[in-house]
This record gives sequence, structure tokens and C-alpha cells, in this order.
Amino acid sequence: MSWRSLTNSKTAPIASRPQSSALEAQGRRSRWSATAREGGAVAMATRARPWQLCSAGSAGAVALATSGAASAEGPGRPGQLQDETLGVASVPSQWRGVQGIRGKTKGCQTASIATAEACAQTQKHADAEVQTEAPVPAGVLPASQHDSPRLAAFLRRVEAIVIRELNKNWQSHAFDGFEVNWTEQQQTVTCLHTLGYPPAQGQGLHVTGVSWNTTGSVVACAYGRLDDGDWSTLRSFVCAWNLDRRSLNPRQPSVVVEVPSAVMSLAFHPTQPSHIAGGLYSGEVLVWDLSRPEDPLLWRTGLTDDTHTDPVYQVVWLPERRHSHRFQVLSVATDGKVLLWQGVGAGQLQLTRGFALVMQQLPRNTKLRKPHRGETEVGATAVAFSSFDPSLFVLGTEGGFPLKCSLAAEEAALTRMPASVPLRAPAQFTFSPHGGPVYSVSCSPFHRNLFLSAGTDGHVHLYSMLQAQPLTSLQLSHKYLFAVRWSPVRPLVFAAASGEGDVQLFDLQKSSQKPTVLIKQTQDESPVYCLEFNCQQTQLLAAGDAKGTVKVWQLSTEFTEQGPRETEDLDQLAAEVAI
Amino acid sequence: LLPDPSERAEVETLKRLQSQKGVQGSLVVNTEGIPAQSSTDNPTTTQHASLRHNLSWKTGSTTHETDPQNGLSFLRICSKKNEIMIAPDKDYFLMLIQNPTE
Repeated sequence: MSWRSLTNSKTAPIASRPQSSALEAQGRRSRWSATAREGGAVAMATRARPWQLCSAGSAGAVALATSGAASAEGPGRPGQLQDETLGVASVPSQWRGVQGIRGKTKGCQTASIATAEACAQTQKHADAEVQTEAPVPAGVLPASQHDSPRLAAFLRRVEAIVIRELNKNWQSHAFDGFEVNWTEQQQTVTCLHTLGYPPAQGQGLHVTGVSWNTTGSVVACAYGRLDDGDWSTLRSFVCAWNLDRRSLNPRQPSVVVEVPSAVMSLAFHPTQPSHIAGGLYSGEVLVWDLSRPEDPLLWRTGLTDDTHTDPVYQVVWLPERRHSHRFQVLSVATDGKVLLWQGVGAGQLQLTRGFALVMQQLPRNTKLRKPHRGETEVGATAVAFSSFDPSLFVLGTEGGFPLKCSLAAEEAALTRMPASVPLRAPAQFTFSPHGGPVYSVSCSPFHRNLFLSAGTDGHVHLYSMLQAQPLTSLQLSHKYLFAVRWSPVRPLVFAAASGEGDVQLFDLQKSSQKPTVLIKQTQDESPVYCLEFNCQQTQLLAAGDAKGTVKVWQLSTEFTEQGPRETEDLDQLAAEVAI
Repeated sequence: LLPDPSERAEVETLKRLQSQKGVQGSLVVNTEGIPAQSSTDNPTTTQHASLRHNLSWKTGSTTHETDPQNGLSFLRICSKKNEIMIAPDKDYFLMLIQNPTE
């Protein structure tokens, strides 16, 4: 549609007025909106058909004329312009089809928000402390407060029935062999952790001692060498792992202590979870506090006249005589001395009591082989204290015979070894010897007279304190036996570590001839040197071997729960005196 | 200070019961759980008194509630290590620890 289809006729291009007349011709609807939308179309329509507009009416013609005149002046060209009739273009209305739509205006506004300000200030406070008190034991009401006649009458009433039941019970077989399981049964022995310290293993060090701490969550191991040779200048380590931590890394101990000499034995303090004592190859005894990683050394014996002159093979903690919450360290070494140390002052371990084993002073109740000329000292390699009598202990010796000793011995030792306290001779009874040196002894926690000893002859002897000959002798290995320990929960179970690389668990209730469970710790038969039961978590057993690894074994339930009448069976075993 | 006859009688009865085969300890508690007579040391006594008394009461009341015509006559607890006999009454409870080994 061109704007230039101007005509010569008087009907010129249209202004807005004729549009309305066209609309009027179509019918009156809402004019104002039509103008907006159809303006263009209507304009074009009316422009294209000027002849129709001529018949619109006089008013329309006048408008046409005036506007036509005005617009005719616009272009100013004389006219070769022609009339054209163009088609109508129309855009149909869309909104008229949808008549139902009505627009409405709505508004909304949240109700005004009410705010208020307020302050608070504590005006007074009080401090209070809470402390648990030791429980006061409730006392028994004294008998005089009771209504004695009524009590007597009651007892008379029930006496008959109770006696009847007691007798019935005595003869009853109703519960023989009846066992109840309260916890989930673990059927096999599994290895929970394999722990090692790579720098120590790289140096070829062996694990010479393991120890659990008093809470049962930390296991520590000592690195050293147990074969022949002068290892006194070898630097070694004491490593501890906290098994309860989630971030346990088996190759990275929680604490590592560097020690100037090989450590031969290790023992955690009975009540302080972080104190640990170690005996060194050089004869020194050291006590560390593992909670202070930057300076763990607490006490040391130093190299004085009192110190051992031979490697210290075992250390144990003992309660002091008068203050049973304080502890002293006892060390045994192959120079024949058993020394009791007390930590005093600034890190010094002082000798409080000492014992020396001299060949001539050993009790002669057992025939021992004649000592070589010049050999007067009896080297001690292991010690175990009785759980029933705190001053009674058993020593294992290089000569292969265990010795029953007492801390209260008074006889002076015939030795020329210098010492700051008088050395006494502790031995009271000599037991029949093994075929080689004894490496480990263990006293039974359930029976006052029984103890085990194991040595290089591969045998384990079960002794009673009352006689020199062992009650029974078991051959466990063709190589050496390095450690033997009674189980802390099962009276008839013990574990032994052998030079063939396995840990043997014996249950004397099941079989007294062969081990109930044989755990292979090392693959290449390198020896297992030490083992310890965990007294808090009684299903755990830690064992250290010559490859420098400590394995924590989880025992099956049969080893952790006492069966019925085990203590009685143990008594029976002890009573079988082999004459 | 001579013990009066009734006291002597109860002591004798208790002694008789204690001397039965396998009896390791005896204890008499009143209805509140306070021990009246005991043959074991104090901590064990108090522990047994409070714990076992509750158990006996519970057993007695359970029996009575399930059948009001019924009542507890005797309670025997068989544990791994020993057996406990409890004789209940309206005033007192008698507890005996027996170790029945063959």
C-alpha cells in the first residue's frame, strides 16, 4: 500500500475523522479502541476506496475536502498520479471473539508489620561447682533395731522349705550342660590390626615387648633385637597405637619415642594410662609419659653403680607397701639382680630395694647341675607376681629352673656387686628345671598355687608352688618358646608364643595334649617374641614378632567367656599332685 | 550381755542353714530391702540386698497379678557360677547362695 496513491480527485488521503465514519458504517462499538488497533487498516481501507467515502455524508465530505486540501498541498507534485484501487487488507479483531474477558484491577498490601524493641541483661549470676562424692556405703541396720521375735518366727517358717530346696538342688541334674549365650558368638579368631613402624622394620628390629595400657585402648611395643650380638648402641623405638581412634593408621603410631639403646621389655603403669616403663639392653630402666610427645622421658636410672650391668629382660610395676596407689618399678636382668626403683626428684629413679641371686644361696631342695667354675650369679630372665600374695613372685632363670621368691626376704646376699641398698637373697624354693633357659613365667589369676613357665626347650611346664616337679609338661614347639600368659578370664586357658611363628592357645578343659587354636602370625616362620592379653577388652590378644609387626587378634567367644564350673576344674587340676 | 532366747533361735536357724552342703552365704532382708542379717561382708551385702530384693518383689507381684489366687512360694536363680535361693514372706526375704558342684 503506498502512501503515494494520491488521486486528483477531491477525495484526498484521509485524516483521522473519516476513519470514525467508516467505523460508524460498520456499527458502533467501542470506537476508541478500534482507532488504536485498526487505525492503520482502516486508514488504508478508506484510502484505497475514496469513492466510498464520497457517499458518507456532507459532513464527511467537508472534512474530506478540508483535509484533502491540506494534504494535497503536501506533496506539491502536479499530477500524473493515477487512481488505483487496491485490495483491502484487514486484520480481524481477536479481542472481540473473546467477549468474556474483562480486565479488573486488584491490589494487595501486607498488613503493616509491627516491631518492638526490647533488651535483656543478666543482672546477677552465681558460680556453682559440682563434685561427685565417693559413695557412702550404706550400713547394715544393727540387729537390735529388728523385731527379733518376728525374725525368728520368719526363719522358722521358711527353714523347712529352704533346706528341702537346698538338698534337691544338690542332687539336681536339671541344669547340667545347660549354657546360655548372652552375646553374639564369634566363632573364629581374626586378625583385627596389623601394626608396624616402617623405620624400625627397615632397620630389621624385632618387637621385643608389647603392653596394653590400663584402659585397654592403647597398645605399645618395644623394638630391639633378641638374637645374639652386641646391640647396645643400636637406636630403637617405643611405639604406641591408640586403637580406639578412628584415624588409626597401622603404619603410623600415635606416639613414637626414640631410645638410645635397644629396648628389651615394656610395661604400662597399672593406673596411669600414659606412663610406661621400659628395660634397655644397656641395663637402664626408663619411664616415659606418652601424653607428652615433645619430652616423654619421666624418669631414668642413669648409669650408676646401682644399674644393671646386663640387659633388663623384664620390668613390672608394683604397688608400694604403704601407699598402694603409688607404684614402683621392678626390673630383672641376667646379672642376677632384681631391683626395685622409685621415681624421686627430677627424673631420677632411685633404688629402694634390691635382691641378688647367688648360686650358693639357692635352696637345695632340687638337684641342679653343678655350676661352672666362677659362675656365681644366676641370671634372671622373667618374673611374675602372684595375684593372691603381693610379696610372692616367681623368677625364671637362665639355668632353666624357676625360683619361688619373696619380697620380704631378709637374708643378705653373698655378692660383691656394689649397691646403695643392701642386697638380699630372695629365693625360697627351687623348682625342677627345664631343658634350657626359661624365657617366660606367668602366675594364674585364678589359683594361688599354679604358674606356667616356658623356655628354650619348647616345653611349657605347669607348676604348683607346693612341689618341685611340674604337674604337667607340654611340648608345644620344636623351637624356642618365648612367652606364655594365662588368660585373664578363662581359668583353664593360656597362650604361648613360639619360635615357629605361631601363637598357640591352649584350653586345658578341652584337650591337654594339643592346642585348641593355632594362630599363624608370620608367614615365614620367624619367631613370635611376645604376647599380652588385654584385661579390659578380654577378647583381644596382642603379639609381636621378629618382622617388627604387632598383630592384634580377636579371639572367639569360647576364649572370653567363662564356662560353668571352670574354677572347680582348675582346682581339681591343681589337686592332681604327681607323686 | 546374754542374747535373749528369740535372738539365739534365729542365729541358730541361720547357722543350720549356712551349714548345709554348698552354701556360700546367706542374707535376710526386710520388705524395704534393708539387710537384717548377713554372713558376707558389707559391700556384697548391700549389693545383693538391693538388687535381689527388687527381683523377688517383681516376681512375687507378677505371680499375683497373673493369677490373684496364686502367689510366689520360692525363687531359685541358676547362674553360671552358683545358685541363689530366695524364700519370700510378708515380712522378710531369705536369700542363700549355694554352689552346687557334683
